[in-house]
Amino acid sequence: MSRRTPGYSIERKKSRWGWIFVTPTLIFFLLFSFYPIFNAFYTSLFNKKLLSLKPPAFIGLGNYSYLLKSPDFWDSIRATLVFTLGTFTPLLIFSLIFAIFIMSRKRFQNFFQIAYYSPAVLSSVVAAVIWLLIFDPRGLGNQWLNLMMNTPGIDHKWLANSVMVQMSTMLVYFWKYVGYFTIIFIVGLASIPQSIYEAAKIDGANDWKNFWYITLPLLKPTTILVSIISMLQCLRTFSTQYLFTQGGAPLAPINVITLNIYHTAIRDHQIGRASAMSIILFVIMMLFTWVQFKSSRADEISY
Amino acid sequence: MKKLFTIFLFVLLLSVTVNAAANMEITFWTHEDPNRTEIEDRYIAEFEQANPGVTIKRVTSGSGQIQELVLTAFAANQGPDIFNMSIEDEYAYIANERLAPLDFQAAGYPSLQAVYDAYIPGVLDPVTYKGQLYGLPLELTNWCIFINKKVFRDAGLDPEKDYPKTWEEMVEVSDKLCIREGEILNRRGFDFRYPYYLVAMVPMVEQLGGQLISDDGKTAIVNDEAWLKFLKFMQEWGPSGRNLGSPTYTNARSLFNKDNNDIAMCHTGLYQEGRIKNDNLNFYNSGEWMVVPFPVFKDAVKDVSAAYYGHYYMVNGQKPKENQQMAWKFVAYMLSHPEEYLTKVNIVQPTVELMNSETYKSMPYSDVFTNDMAKAHIVYYGENSAKIQSLIREAVESVMLAGVSPEDALKTLKRKVQEVLDEG
Repeated sequence: MSRRTPGYSIERKKSRWGWIFVTPTLIFFLLFSFYPIFNAFYTSLFNKKLLSLKPPAFIGLGNYSYLLKSPDFWDSIRATLVFTLGTFTPLLIFSLIFAIFIMSRKRFQNFFQIAYYSPAVLSSVVAAVIWLLIFDPRGLGNQWLNLMMNTPGIDHKWLANSVMVQMSTMLVYFWKYVGYFTIIFIVGLASIPQSIYEAAKIDGANDWKNFWYITLPLLKPTTILVSIISMLQCLRTFSTQYLFTQGGAPLAPINVITLNIYHTAIRDHQIGRASAMSIILFVIMMLFTWVQFKSSRADEISY
Repeated sequence: MKKLFTIFLFVLLLSVTVNAAANMEITFWTHEDPNRTEIEDRYIAEFEQANPGVTIKRVTSGSGQIQELVLTAFAANQGPDIFNMSIEDEYAYIANERLAPLDFQAAGYPSLQAVYDAYIPGVLDPVTYKGQLYGLPLELTNWCIFINKKVFRDAGLDPEKDYPKTWEEMVEVSDKLCIREGEILNRRGFDFRYPYYLVAMVPMVEQLGGQLISDDGKTAIVNDEAWLKFLKFMQEWGPSGRNLGSPTYTNARSLFNKDNNDIAMCHTGLYQEGRIKNDNLNFYNSGEWMVVPFPVFKDAVKDVSAAYYGHYYMVNGQKPKENQQMAWKFVAYMLSHPEEYLTKVNIVQPTVELMNSETYKSMPYSDVFTNDMAKAHIVYYGENSAKIQSLIREAVESVMLAGVSPEDALKTLKRKVQEVLDEG
């Protein structure tokens, strides 16, 4: 007993300091993340109208059962999944390709990094407004594409066709975030020890083998990080779709869950139903994150 | 020393309390309109001088943003003292009893009846609820068709004779006015104001014998045939039909003032005259524009013009009584200048006196607006009017842009609007 006391006390001292450092962040998290989540869940159990001063009626899971039967909600799920898959996959692949491209340059590495990253600095609203001008029927989008494809006078209906408008939102998101993920991959690539490549070179490995057997496996933690962040960002997409619909694009093809939540709360004043939708979105995001973590652990490689 | 300190504290506390009672800040949220800002800033200065201790804080936001700003502020019980929006957006505040009824004495009227008598009949109906009056109109607006005569002549048309009287003529005339580069429209003849489906498009359906909601308020989308004809018309108008316009082009009303040979006609209110004057004085003075009535379908069964809508000043019912009284007093002060609003901002405050005044009658084309208003009704308003408008928008866009058949679009529209009605 007398032997354990000093160790115990140092441990305690250490953990006290740990708690002191962690507490502000925990309070911040409780206030601005956990409380809104619990509050949204609580609100989702009531038939609450945004402007009504009357106490809302408790309806249990009524909002959830309404949503699960609503074709509009399922359309939003479809729009969100299409957008996420259509954006997340090219984001992951191209940001890796761009990172390798930049790392392989002997010169202008900084220039390329800034060039790729700069769209990420813009606010989503500004980015969407720029692209709205490009996608105007008389805008640069049609002019460039017609010049490249030698198809004068063709309106590619960037915002005026249900398939094209989905592609347009993906394009904007890809343009905005590819640089951001490229930078993360560059950091991941830089952390791989050069000695491993040197050893492989002595063993006679070529560039392709280096990439396939060294770079890709050792980049796995970065790839998981990028895939989780990019997927969560895609699931939460809002401003591009919102501004495009304000600019005249049809709502149905790009009515992602976040936009549906916004309309349900702000236009229809149904804050209870909107809260239920945001809880469902939260569950979907948690589920995808869990699946990604699980699948990444299954085939861990160590050197 | 201790005594002296206590007396000092007491005096300090008293002065703070007296000061707080004497000072009153009235927050006033409204949409951006540079012409209004100029005169209302002056009214604020005059009112503050006449009412010492009162400060009016006027905050403006874009006409597309103010709805959500006011809504979120009210949801957090932090709404402004005074605000204004279009009646379709304001009615929910009346129905949810978030507003203060008009204090007619504070507003300078001898009785509530005197307020009704001061305005043209019916104009205060949308803001009358359970026998109380909840708003005073900043403006009452109806839309007619503005025409650029130069563009007509450029296309070999005589604007005075060839302007479209029916929607069928609108299609033909627009087709002649269009300048296309392949599928891209470099000049449009006319284009709709797409976000405002209740104001401009529901009356088109009514011309054909349809209704948005049945007279008993229980059935949505009455007369399928009329709605189908309207949806087919819009399908033909869009890029997949005769390609005369689309919601994805820059809105026609903004382009019209520039006189850049990219739009011949647009759909807007009398206030546009003030905006043309502001944006392009040469065009305003050139006499190269004119205003004509809202067209009707050739086989219309009802002669209806575009619906008129009102922006009403309203007062927050959650503010202290004295703030409410001061707010109504200030609103009434602003609204005591209807002729200046008309001449400087070109908005019509529908008082009996103004509508019969020489000032109103001498405004260019005011007779066209008056005649059209006589054939119109107020825009559909209700607690769910914003949602119903977006459902009509969805239907029109789906046939114009998403390749949905008018029959399917109508079926979906009917189901969704009925659901909104049933939910109450």
